[in-house]
Amino acid sequence: MYKLLLSWRYLLTRYLALASIVSVMLGVATLVVVNSVMGGFAEKLRDRLRGLQAHVMIDARSADGFANLDYHMQRVREILGDRLEAMSPVIEGFAMVEYRRREYTNFETGSRDDPVNGVITGESPPVVRTVRLLGIDPASRSQTSEFAQFLQNPENRKDPTRCFELRGQAAEHHRRHFLRRFGPTVYAPKPHSFPVSGAEGDGDTPPPPDPVEAPPQLVRPFGAVVGHGIATFRKPDAKSTDTDRDIPIIYPGDEIVITTVSRTQLEGHAGTRGHPRPVSATFVVTDVFKSEMSEIDSNIIYIDLADMQRLRTMENCATSLQLKIRGYEHYTPEQKRQLLAELAQHFDETFFAIASWEQKQGPLLAAIAIERGLLNVLLFLIIAVAGFGILAIFYMIVIEKMRDIGILKALGASNSGVMGIFLTYGLALGLVGAGLGTMLGLVITININEIERGLSALTGNDVFDRSVYYFDKIPINIDPLNILLLNLGALAIAVAASVLPALRAALLHPVQCLRYE
Amino acid sequence: MASTLLLARDLYKSYRRHKIVIPVLRGLDLDVETGEFLCLVGASGSGKTTLLHVLGTLDRPDSGRILLEGRRIDDVALAERDRLRNRVFGFIFQFYHLLPELNVLENVLMPEMIRSSVLSWWWRRREARRRALALLDRVGLGHRLRHRPRELSGGEMQRAAIARALLSQPRLLLADEPTGNLDARTGSEIVRLLRDLNREEGLTIIMVTHNPEIARLADRCVCMTEGRVEAVSASELPALSS
Ligand SMILES: Nc1ncnc2c1ncn2[C@@H]1O[C@H](COP(=O)(O)OP(=O)(O)OP(=O)(O)O)[C@@H](O)[C@H]1O
Ligand SMILES: [Mg+2]
Repeated sequence: MYKLLLSWRYLLTRYLALASIVSVMLGVATLVVVNSVMGGFAEKLRDRLRGLQAHVMIDARSADGFANLDYHMQRVREILGDRLEAMSPVIEGFAMVEYRRREYTNFETGSRDDPVNGVITGESPPVVRTVRLLGIDPASRSQTSEFAQFLQNPENRKDPTRCFELRGQAAEHHRRHFLRRFGPTVYAPKPHSFPVSGAEGDGDTPPPPDPVEAPPQLVRPFGAVVGHGIATFRKPDAKSTDTDRDIPIIYPGDEIVITTVSRTQLEGHAGTRGHPRPVSATFVVTDVFKSEMSEIDSNIIYIDLADMQRLRTMENCATSLQLKIRGYEHYTPEQKRQLLAELAQHFDETFFAIASWEQKQGPLLAAIAIERGLLNVLLFLIIAVAGFGILAIFYMIVIEKMRDIGILKALGASNSGVMGIFLTYGLALGLVGAGLGTMLGLVITININEIERGLSALTGNDVFDRSVYYFDKIPINIDPLNILLLNLGALAIAVAASVLPALRAALLHPVQCLRYE
Repeated sequence: MASTLLLARDLYKSYRRHKIVIPVLRGLDLDVETGEFLCLVGASGSGKTTLLHVLGTLDRPDSGRILLEGRRIDDVALAERDRLRNRVFGFIFQFYHLLPELNVLENVLMPEMIRSSVLSWWWRRREARRRALALLDRVGLGHRLRHRPRELSGGEMQRAAIARALLSQPRLLLADEPTGNLDARTGSEIVRLLRDLNREEGLTIIMVTHNPEIARLADRCVCMTEGRVEAVSASELPALSS
C-alpha cells in the first residue's frame, strides 16, 4: 500500500521527474503520429496497388506476347470454372508519345489558356517522352481491377466501355482545334495498310483540302486515355494549397502521336531471325486517368486492345491475362498457391509467368514495412534516451531519499517493498508520459492535414510534397493495437530504466541510510 | 514478578573501514525486563546507537546472541527481521525521521500500511485510522493531522514519531536520544510522555540520552564503556555526563 502512496507523492512533488515525463511523452507522440501516417500511406498504397491490379496475372515472357488468345482464355475458363469472376486480356509495351503544348487565346477575355472558347495562337515544338502503353479492353478491365473510377470524365466513369470514344466536350474540342486545321484524314489509316511499318504512312499528311465541315464520325479515331502526370505538369513552386498547381498540357480532344514497335517480323532463310519495327499512329486523347499513384499516372497511356493489336500486328494476341478470382480475399495462402499451381499446368513456366498481385507488389509493400520498422526502432531510441533520463533522475532521488529509505526499513519495509516504490514510480512516470503522448499524438494525427497546411503557410514551402504522391490529403490509419503496443513498449522502457535505481535502493543497508546526513 | 523480555549475551560488533577495525561492542551482556524503562548512557562514540540497531534487528552482531522472550532473533531470515521491526520493535530517533512527503496522519499510519497489501489496507484502514487518531490525541497532536512534518516544531515532530512507533503496539520501544534536539522543557515533556506510557501501558522502553536529568526519570540506568554496559545508580549520573 505504502508503495502506491509514496510513488504517487513522489510523482506530485518531484518536478525534476516531469522532464522525463515530457521526453517520454514526445517520444510516444512522435511514434503515434509516424505510425498512423505511415500506416495510412501503406494502407492507401496497398489499396491503390490492389485496385489497379487484378488478383492473378498471367504474363507472357516474350514481349511479343502469346498467340491464340481466344483459346487460352477458354482454357482459363475451363480450369477455374466457377472461381473465375472476370478476365481481361492486355497488351503491354513501351512507347514514345509525341505531343505539343498549345496556347489557346480567348481575345474577348484575354485568357491565354482557354481551350473551350479560345483559338490556337501558339504551339510548342513537339515534345517526346517514353511511356508504358497498355492496350486494354475497357469492359473487362473495369471488372478485373479498378479502372473506371479513376477516369476524369464522369460519363466514362459511369460507362467505361466507351472511354476510347471521342464524345462530348472532347469531341467538340477536337473538332474545333484539329479538324478545322488538319482535316479528317490524320488518323484514318486503312486498317491493314498502316501498321506494318511506321516508316511510311501517316507521317506526312497532305495539306487539308477543305478543313471546315468534315464530319468526324465518319472514321472512328484511335482513342487514348492519358495518365494525369503526362497530361499535366506541376508548377515547380506550387504550394499544396493551390488549386491550379497542375497545368494542363494535353486536353481531351488533343491529338498525340504514339510510336511503338510491331511484333517481331520473321525474316531470313529459315524464318529464325527477325526484329521489331517501329510503328506509329495518331491518337486522340479521349480522357485523363488519375489514380493518385504518381508511378502510374505519369507513365501510362491506355489505348483500346483492338487498336493495340492492329498497331502492333498482334491480332488475337495478348501479353498478359488479368484474372479476378471470386472471394479471393478469403483465400488462405495455401489456396492461393494451389490456384496458381493449377494455372501453371496449362501455362508453361517457360513461356508464362504466373503471379498473384501480392507477389508482384510484395517488394514494394515490404519496403514500406521495413521503412516503418526502421523508423520505429529509431523513434524508440528517443524513448530509450528518455529512459536514461529517468535512470539518472531516479538515481538522484534514491540518494536524496536515503534517510527515508532507512526509516521505511526501520519500520519493517522489506527490500522488495522499497524496490517496489521506485518501480511503481517509474511505471507511473511511464504511464503519465505515454498517456499524454498518446493523446498528443492522436490530436496531431487527426489534425495532421490542418497542421500541414498551417506549417506550409508559415514556412512558405510544402511540408508534404504532393508531387511525390498525388494524394490530396495525408492519409492516416489509426491502429489501436499498434498504439497499445507502442504504449506497452514505452512503459517497459520506463520501468526498465527504474530497475537499477530501485535495486540500489533495495540493497541499501538500513543503518547506513539512517546515519546518512 | 517481571520476566525478561530481551536478553543479549556476549555481543560483538565492529566496523571495518579500509582495513581499520573499529570495535564497538565487545562482549556486551544486557537483560531487559518486561515493562522496564531502561536508560542507556555513555560517552559519544561509545556505541549506544550501534547497540540499539543491533537489538532492533536493523543490524547484525558479529557474534553473540539476542533472545526475545527466549527466542533467538539475531540470526533469523530477512523477512522475519522485517516482521519483527514492524510489529515488535518501535523506533524513535533524535532527528524524528518523519517522511516529508506525507502528512502527520499518514506518517503515523506508515507501519500499518507497510504491513498491508492494497486490498487488506482497504479493509483495515478505518480501524487503523481510529487507532492512529487515538494515539495522536494521546501525544497531543490531534489537531495537526493534515500538516506536513516541516510545518511542525521539533517537539511536535517527535510526538508524531512516538505515535508512529506506537501504532503497531510494539513490545519494545527503542529511543535514540529522543530529546537530543529539543530544549530542556520540551525534552522533559517528551520523556514524561514516555514515562507515562511506560507506567500506564506497561510499555518496555530503552532510551539513549546524554541528559542526567532525564536519565533520572528511568527505572534503571546502564552506562556503555569499552563496548560493554555496566549498571550505574542515579547519583553517579552527573559525573558521567560531564
Ligand atoms: N559505518 C561505520 N563505519 C565505521 N565506523 C562506524 C560506523 N558507524 C559507527 N561507527 C563508529 O562506531 C562507533 C560507535 O558509534 P555510535 O554511533 O554507535 O556511537 P554513539 O554512542 O551512538 O555516539 P553518540 O552518542 O554520539 O550518538 C563510533 O566510534 C563510530 O565512529
Ligand atoms: Mg548515537
